[in-house]
Amino acid sequence: MFRLKNFIQQSWLLIVVSFVFGLLIAVANAAWQDEILQNEEDKFNNLAKGMLTEAAGFETALDDAEIKSLKGKKIKIDIKKAISADGKCVGWAFICEGSGFADKIKLVLTVDAGFDKLAGFGVLSSNETPGFGDQIKLPYYRNQYVNAPAAALTLSKTGNPKIIDSEIVAISGATVSSEAVIKIINHYIEQVREQLQSKGLIADGK
Amino acid sequence: MANDAVKEGVYKDMLLRGLWRENPVLRLLLGMCPTLAVTVAVKPALTMGLSVVFVLVCSNIVVSLIRNLLKPHLRILMFTVTIATFVTIADLFLKAYLPDMSERLGPYVPLIIVNCIIICRAEACASKNSLFISIIDAIGMGIGFTLTLCVLAGIREILATGAVFEIQILALQNQGGWFVPWAAMSMPVGAFITLGLMLALVNVITKRKS
Repeated sequence: MFRLKNFIQQSWLLIVVSFVFGLLIAVANAAWQDEILQNEEDKFNNLAKGMLTEAAGFETALDDAEIKSLKGKKIKIDIKKAISADGKCVGWAFICEGSGFADKIKLVLTVDAGFDKLAGFGVLSSNETPGFGDQIKLPYYRNQYVNAPAAALTLSKTGNPKIIDSEIVAISGATVSSEAVIKIINHYIEQVREQLQSKGLIADGK
Repeated sequence: MANDAVKEGVYKDMLLRGLWRENPVLRLLLGMCPTLAVTVAVKPALTMGLSVVFVLVCSNIVVSLIRNLLKPHLRILMFTVTIATFVTIADLFLKAYLPDMSERLGPYVPLIIVNCIIICRAEACASKNSLFISIIDAIGMGIGFTLTLCVLAGIREILATGAVFEIQILALQNQGGWFVPWAAMSMPVGAFITLGLMLALVNVITKRKS
């Protein structure tokens, strides 16, 4: 009883303040959540349109598709279909994420209509080391993924980054970040392909 | 009447000391991480400075209001919780209304939580003084920090790109002008050299004055 009384005497202010501050953050979050989500969606569309240049817009092809995250948890993602001005499917786009060197890396991955080749990736959010890991955003690294096969990619520390194949040349001084991007793409690409095949949205390769 | 004049003088002195005599960056050498990291251009430097002013003012208000209830051994924890709350709010605001700037500043906005200036002012001023004095101290220190960041960023931006606030001032050589951009100024080395020169200049001026 004495211990409990002492605990409350010592920490009541911290408990009250934490509760009030938690409430304050919740209110701020609720007030600005719509704008933040809208900004993320705008960014998704801009990034995806930059990679799928023929796309006039995006529509949700699979809502809440169940995917296993890199940590083994079941998560739900939206898979979007890129539609050209004449209504044809010109590709697929979805968000994938995993751990980077410093923090979570969130990518927009785009694939061509037949799900054979990657159209590229864009970084939606990351906190990689400035000057090193954040070079995953630069064309030098990103261009290696444009038209690369939509299959298991491998990382190489040396090689010619201009040769487009399944071997990606790592960023010097940022191997962990380079590896993280490949790991995320490899992990998601097969699962998304399976999801689209199971719904008959792309041809079954069997 | 005389008492009011003395008080006014004290407040004015408190407001101004953050600009020069106790400038957090140039005299106290606090907040070096954002000073070096976000001063590539004036816009991110100004955004960072204003975010710090917001967090500094809000945290000083809260700490000053609860100063008589603080337990000595829990005070640092209380300061950290307070600062983290306002940094989270500033971060959410930037994400909602200045998404490009939020992305440009990256992890340095959340890192305001560990900015020594804020915890230093909470400990040295707000936990010992009245609300009004704490607010004045926060504004003075915040403006001092923001101005220093902007001057440093202005020097780096003009030498690295020939522009200030993204407005082209010097005609670049590759566009028919005379100015050759100093690429090093946009790199970390540019931040260290410029800050070093600014610190040296401040030391020389201070020595001459004394």
